Amino acid sequence: MARTDAGVLQGGAPAGQEKEKAKRKKPSVIKRVRKKFRVFSIRAGMDLPLFFLILVLLTIGLVMMFSASYPYAYYYMDGDSYYFIRNQAIFAVLGVAIMVAVSYFDYHHLHKFAIPLLIVTYIFLVMMLVLKDTSLVPNIKGAYRWLYIGPINFQPSEVAKFALILVFSHLISLNFDKMSTFRYGVLPYVLILGSVALLVVLEKHMSATLIILMLGAVMMFVGGVRLRWFGIAMAVLAAAAVYLLAFTDVFSYAMNRVYGWLDPFNPPEGVDTWQTRQSLMSIGSGGLLGLGLGQSRQKYLYLPEPQNDFIFAIVCEELGFIGALIIIVLFAMLVWRGVVVSLKAKDKFGMLLGVGLTFQIGLQVVLNIMVITNTIPNTGISLPFFSYGGTSLVMLLAEMGVVLSISRNSAIEKL
Amino acid sequence: MAKGTTVRMWRRTIFVLMVLIVLGFGSLVVSLFRLQIVEGEELQTRAVNQQTQDTTLTAKRGTIYDRNMKVLATSADVYKVVLDPNYVRKELEQGQERDGIQEEIAQGLGEILDMDPADILALLEKQTYYAVAKTKVETDVKDQILEFKTKLELGNAIQLQPDYKRYYPYGSFASAVLGFTNSENQGVTGVEASYNDYLSGVAGKLVTAKNAKGSDMPFQYEQRIEAQDGYSLVLTIDEVVQHFLEKSVEEAAADCGARNRACGIVMNVNTGEILAMTVKGDYDPNDPYTITDPADLAVINAIPDDEEHQEERSQAIRTAQEKQWRNKCISDTYNPGSVFKMLTASMGIEEGLVTESTQFYCGGSYQVADRNISCWKTAGHGTETFAQGLCNSCNPVFMQLSEMLGANTFYRYFEAFGMTQKTGIDLIGESNSIYYNAEGLGPTELATSSFGQSFRVTPIQMITAAAAVANGGYLVQPHVVSKVIDQEGNIVETIDTSVKRQVISEETSARVSAILQEAATTGSAKNGYVAGYRVAGKTGTSEKIDEWNAEGREGEKKYIASYCGYAPAEDPEIIMLVFFDEPLPQNGQVFGSAIAGPPFAETMAEILPYLGIEPKYTEEELSKLDISTPGVVGLTKEDAQVKISNASLTYKVYGEGEKVVSQIPEQGKSIPKGGTVVLYTDEASTSQTVAVPQLTGLSLSQVNSRAAEAGLNISVSGAALASGNAVSESQDIAEGTQVPPGTVVTVNFVDLEDVH
Repeated sequence: MARTDAGVLQGGAPAGQEKEKAKRKKPSVIKRVRKKFRVFSIRAGMDLPLFFLILVLLTIGLVMMFSASYPYAYYYMDGDSYYFIRNQAIFAVLGVAIMVAVSYFDYHHLHKFAIPLLIVTYIFLVMMLVLKDTSLVPNIKGAYRWLYIGPINFQPSEVAKFALILVFSHLISLNFDKMSTFRYGVLPYVLILGSVALLVVLEKHMSATLIILMLGAVMMFVGGVRLRWFGIAMAVLAAAAVYLLAFTDVFSYAMNRVYGWLDPFNPPEGVDTWQTRQSLMSIGSGGLLGLGLGQSRQKYLYLPEPQNDFIFAIVCEELGFIGALIIIVLFAMLVWRGVVVSLKAKDKFGMLLGVGLTFQIGLQVVLNIMVITNTIPNTGISLPFFSYGGTSLVMLLAEMGVVLSISRNSAIEKL
Repeated sequence: MAKGTTVRMWRRTIFVLMVLIVLGFGSLVVSLFRLQIVEGEELQTRAVNQQTQDTTLTAKRGTIYDRNMKVLATSADVYKVVLDPNYVRKELEQGQERDGIQEEIAQGLGEILDMDPADILALLEKQTYYAVAKTKVETDVKDQILEFKTKLELGNAIQLQPDYKRYYPYGSFASAVLGFTNSENQGVTGVEASYNDYLSGVAGKLVTAKNAKGSDMPFQYEQRIEAQDGYSLVLTIDEVVQHFLEKSVEEAAADCGARNRACGIVMNVNTGEILAMTVKGDYDPNDPYTITDPADLAVINAIPDDEEHQEERSQAIRTAQEKQWRNKCISDTYNPGSVFKMLTASMGIEEGLVTESTQFYCGGSYQVADRNISCWKTAGHGTETFAQGLCNSCNPVFMQLSEMLGANTFYRYFEAFGMTQKTGIDLIGESNSIYYNAEGLGPTELATSSFGQSFRVTPIQMITAAAAVANGGYLVQPHVVSKVIDQEGNIVETIDTSVKRQVISEETSARVSAILQEAATTGSAKNGYVAGYRVAGKTGTSEKIDEWNAEGREGEKKYIASYCGYAPAEDPEIIMLVFFDEPLPQNGQVFGSAIAGPPFAETMAEILPYLGIEPKYTEEELSKLDISTPGVVGLTKEDAQVKISNASLTYKVYGEGEKVVSQIPEQGKSIPKGGTVVLYTDEASTSQTVAVPQLTGLSLSQVNSRAAEAGLNISVSGAALASGNAVSESQDIAEGTQVPPGTVVTVNFVDLEDVH
């Protein structure tokens, strides 16, 4: 209406009337086109704030990964400082393409994939145990996290996380009315979660186990599992802890590591806290405003593999508290938006799937930064959008594509 | 809604979201705030410490010049040999697969540096990128290392960092003033220490970023703060004066067997500039840790060099080192003895209590309170004037004078003469004096204080106070540095004359000087007589009574022989103090005058003309004055004889020739009036020699006649010119030595009578 008024004011009365007619027609054409091609149009369908948050974080992540990996690549890749960023950039482009493609894909088709994917996950996880210590599943720092198949290498635990979210969403949305029963509301989830977690534990992949358990718990909680079951789970965990403490030497064995965690600058003998110490020094070096983009000194081989799990320490060093705060806020906004979009999904399946995938990112971010700040002991958790790793970046972006696909069907107000 | 989200799901989701955002993300912000803002600085310091390698850029230490810009101490380029064990291990051994490279380096470097290869190997096994193998390596060794490095292609394994080494071109010369530096180029004693801040400059710093492997980062990250070279010092010391003083003191110390070292100071009375200062029993600042004193060395070598006695031995070495480094002129206190009488006399005249002609009586001792204190001449001086009393160095005169002064007045002057304060000389290690204050000066203490016993001052305090007596009463601050200059020679700081106060009037000063001149000519101090100059002086033979008392008044009584005098007496310019600690007694006695007078006179005779102070001879002096031998070589025998006779000399002819082919002494050499010139008229005659007779323990006339008998010439030094009672004490060519006839033998005379 404002435009129309302006037209009236600008032109004379007869000419104005003609224009008014033309203009009244024009939007209707666009609307019709939009309606017709809604499914295929980005602007029409998906949640743009979420989309742009992903792109912004991915861009910052790539820039910081380049900066962090530059010297490491120089020293270890025969002077090729661009080694890591080149790979990561290729996968980022591929990943964004896949994300957009996935967003057009109707997520309801995923119902069909839920159980098969879970089976594939079990196959992978069992394979890990069967093939461990071979060239396919090498022992890296005492754990068996990576599967090497030809040129591709990935962590089956990543697949397990997605499979778990998908299966739980699938089952809960189908059996929602029976969620209060033990047989449909508790047992399947406990069995799936327990078995998957056990297999991942056997890979000696503690951080993934932790995330899988937390994700499973969140899904069950949101899906409506009765609170008393959580109470029981807590009690079981507490009893297990008491048992381990009282009747085994697991804790006394871990005690030195705990001391190392509490005071990384004076660790007990035999406990290596180099990475943690270097991380803390990097973060501290940043101060309020940071040393400036590209100016990190800790990335010069002090902080081991600065492009991987500890990349955020370099971010803190270069961009300072302010820069780190902005990135944390961006992540929080991403989580917030993802949850909001999911809550407006048309159905429970979409809602559960969206919430699960969004929380996965949120948990990874929180646990990763807790590790680099030594809030929790050092365990391998990568930082979404930042840490180096082509396969996992593509998987992450594909999962984001699923969330965007949900947003297309959600009742959220489109910008 | 049946298909969509239920309210409970919505609530539970929001709850989990809140937990994640508030507890999860919130805790991240808190953690980062703590690490980056609260603990940021501390963590950053840790990071910087590991990331950077500081290399000190040594500043070149300033030069030390004498007052005529002669170099006394300088710094020369040397190198520090630094190993990079990490580099050797990672780059050479692992990177280039050069097995055994450590051993190769250790062997080669060990040979060049004269080190045990095993020690170098131990350094190479350290987990570091910086291990110092050797410091202060000279340029020729540096070149050998460079060659070795190139030959073996060692890259950064061995680095040579520029450094400086201190050189003292004249060895032990003036070491008491100069001091020395330690291996860190910091002054330990002397002006090297007291002016260390000026000399050392400001070390620069090279901060280079290192990656965790210890090699330089591929990008330039380097902060260079250039070293600021040290300033240079121009001393008040005159190399020539210093040389004469050292020679005299060293000889005299050896002659008298001073067992606790000797020292000497020459000072400008008006400005306080120290022209020379020496301690004998000193050290070579190029090699300050080597013990020079044979007695101390004997003590050390008597301790077995084994594990058990290690501590004892190193303690003995330390003690000996500290002793030889100690500047006796400023760090040791002593009883000045009779030299102090010039101050007591000044007090009496200034206060108007006595005049030169005031009558005193000396009966050989004087009763003070319950003690009878004797004069050095136990027979007594009888009735004498005050002036005579000072010339005779009569103790009872001064005890009586001190009674007239009283403790308060005495102490007031004592204080005013600077006896209670350090002089503030610009050298480190000046000691405090030990004395009775006004309340502590009882009758006995006052009486003994009047002739310089029962308190202890440093030689520098004594000479400064004596300078006040000489220069019109002004107490000046002694100093050894005249100015500080930068590398371009611009003056940074000038040390001006600092007059602390006027202690006595100019009139008193002149009157005391006149008496002291008399003392140095005919009185007790006459061994300090210098022909052609009016010298005012006073000897001192002080008993080391404190130590004797401490030993229970048993054993040998030890003495200090000293002489303090200045010239010219009518307008004093130069003052000198020489001091011999614990000389060996001769015939059971120690005479300060006999020991300390001759080196004083010798030095003064050399330095006064050098310093441009013209001699004024009396007729009597002229009659005894040496004559410069005329040159007669090439003349006929007859012409030569005439020329020599005209010069008031005698001659002796050897050989059968007509013309003189050579002469002894040669042209220009000084010989006494009436001395013999030997003329050779053919070559064969020149091979003749005569034996030097014994010339000690004789009077001047006896010496002359013996010399004439042997056909030798005599050069006289010491007290002979001033006194008829002088006895020859030493000769420079030993008895029995075969020398060509006409050779000049220097004989030193002392006057043992009426001296104290």
